[in-house]
Amino acid sequence: MNQVLTPKDFTTNQEVRWCPGCGDYAILKSVRSTLAKIGRPPHEVVFVSGIGCAARFPYYVDSYGFHTIHGRAPAVATGVKLANPDLDVWVVGGDGDFLSIGGNHLLHALRRNMDLNLLLLNNAIYGLTKGQYSPTSSVGTRSPSTPGGSVDRPVNAALMALGAGARFVARSADTLQDHLPEVLTRAQAHKGASLVEIFQNCIVYNDAVWAGMATKAESVDKTIRVADGEPLLFGKERDKGLVFDSNSGRMQLTEEGGDAEKLATIHDETNWALACALSRMDDSSLPTSLGVLYCDPVSDYGSDQEASNGFSTLSRDDLHGLLHDGGTWEVEG
Amino acid sequence: MTYVVIENCIRCKYQDCVEVCPVDCFYEGENMLVIHPDECIDCGVCEPECPAEAIRPDSEDGLESWVKLNAKFSEIWPNITAKGDAPLDADNWMDKHGKLSELSEAPGIGG
Repeated sequence: MNQVLTPKDFTTNQEVRWCPGCGDYAILKSVRSTLAKIGRPPHEVVFVSGIGCAARFPYYVDSYGFHTIHGRAPAVATGVKLANPDLDVWVVGGDGDFLSIGGNHLLHALRRNMDLNLLLLNNAIYGLTKGQYSPTSSVGTRSPSTPGGSVDRPVNAALMALGAGARFVARSADTLQDHLPEVLTRAQAHKGASLVEIFQNCIVYNDAVWAGMATKAESVDKTIRVADGEPLLFGKERDKGLVFDSNSGRMQLTEEGGDAEKLATIHDETNWALACALSRMDDSSLPTSLGVLYCDPVSDYGSDQEASNGFSTLSRDDLHGLLHDGGTWEVEG
Repeated sequence: MTYVVIENCIRCKYQDCVEVCPVDCFYEGENMLVIHPDECIDCGVCEPECPAEAIRPDSEDGLESWVKLNAKFSEIWPNITAKGDAPLDADNWMDKHGKLSELSEAPGIGG
C-alpha cells in the first residue's frame, strides 16, 4: 500500500541553484507535490537528467538520481528501467537537451514506448550557457549566437512526439499550480513513454517568452485546457470554442455569435489527428492547447511479451553462440 | 521552504515584490503584505526587489512568528497581483524598528 507522503519527503538538503524567479522553481514544487500525492516511496523513484538548467532536478528531488551526459538521459533512463522495471523513472531535460543534443534519443525513447515519464522544460533558450537560441526559439530570436535574429523555424515538440509514435503527449506551464500537478499525475499513471512539455520562463535570457500563457489573468484567453470527453471551450466565460476541420486538418474558432458549447468539437484523447491539430495552432487568433492532448496506450516495451521474449529466453550459451556463429569474413588482399 | 514578509514592510508596503512574483502569491493588508506559504515557489525573485528589505527566506533563524503571521493573513487578506501606490509616508517608516504594534489586521484592497 502506498504511504502517506508529503512534498518534504522529496526535498533534499541541497541549496536550489537556479536564478531567482526561474520557472524551474515552480515546476520543482509541482513535481514534489505530485510525487507525494502518488505516494511511491522515494527509494522507488528515480530522476535522470542530461545537461542544462533543468538537469539539476536530481539534486533537488530526494529520490535516486542520475545527472548524466548531454542529451543522453533518455538512453540512461532506458537502462535504468530495463534493469529495474518496478522503479518509477522520470527523465527531465530542457529544449536543448531533449530536442537538439538529445533529439535522437528522445525520438527513440518515445517510439520504443518504455514506461518513462519525460518532462521537457521548454524555455526556448539555452539558459545554462548564457542565452543562445535553441531548437524551440521563435524566428527572429536575438541571442549571442544569433545577434541579427535567428532564421531557423522552431521545432514543435508535441508534434514531433506525435510523429515519433508517442502514446502520451501533454502540455502545461511552469506556474500553473492548478494544472501542472494534474498533468504530471496523468503522465506518471500512463504505462509507456509519456512526454510532458512544460512551458517554462527563463527570467534572465528569455523573459516572458510564453507571456500570456502562464499568468492567471491572460491565460484564459490565450490557452485552452483540454479535457477528454469535454467540448473544446476557452475564455473567461468559456464562450469561445474550437472546431476540428477535417478538410484542412486544422483547428478553427467556432462561428462568432454561435453557441460555442454546441458547436465545439468534443476532445478525444485517442484521436491522433485531433491531437496534431491541437498541437499546431500557430494562428495568433487561436489559443495554445494545454492538458493531455493525446493518450492512447498500447503495450509498453517492458510488458510486451512478444518483444521481450527474444531477450529473456536467451541463455549465456545461446548468447555466446550468437556472437560466434561465424557470421564474419575476412577480405583477402 | 517559503519566503516570508517581516516587520520592515509594515507601513512601508512598497509593493515592488508584487510586480515580479511569477505566481502572484502576495496578499494585501491595509499597511503590510504577506506571502502565501503554500503558493510561494521559493524562487527568491522578490527578495532583492524590496527597498525595505522586508522579505526573507523562512530558513533564517528567528522568523517563526513571521512565518505564522504570513500563513494566517494570506488566508484572510485579498490577493494582490498589480503594484499599487506605496503609502505617502512610507519613506518615514523605512528604518523604524518595533513596528509590529503598527500592524493593521484590516484587509487591503487587493487586485
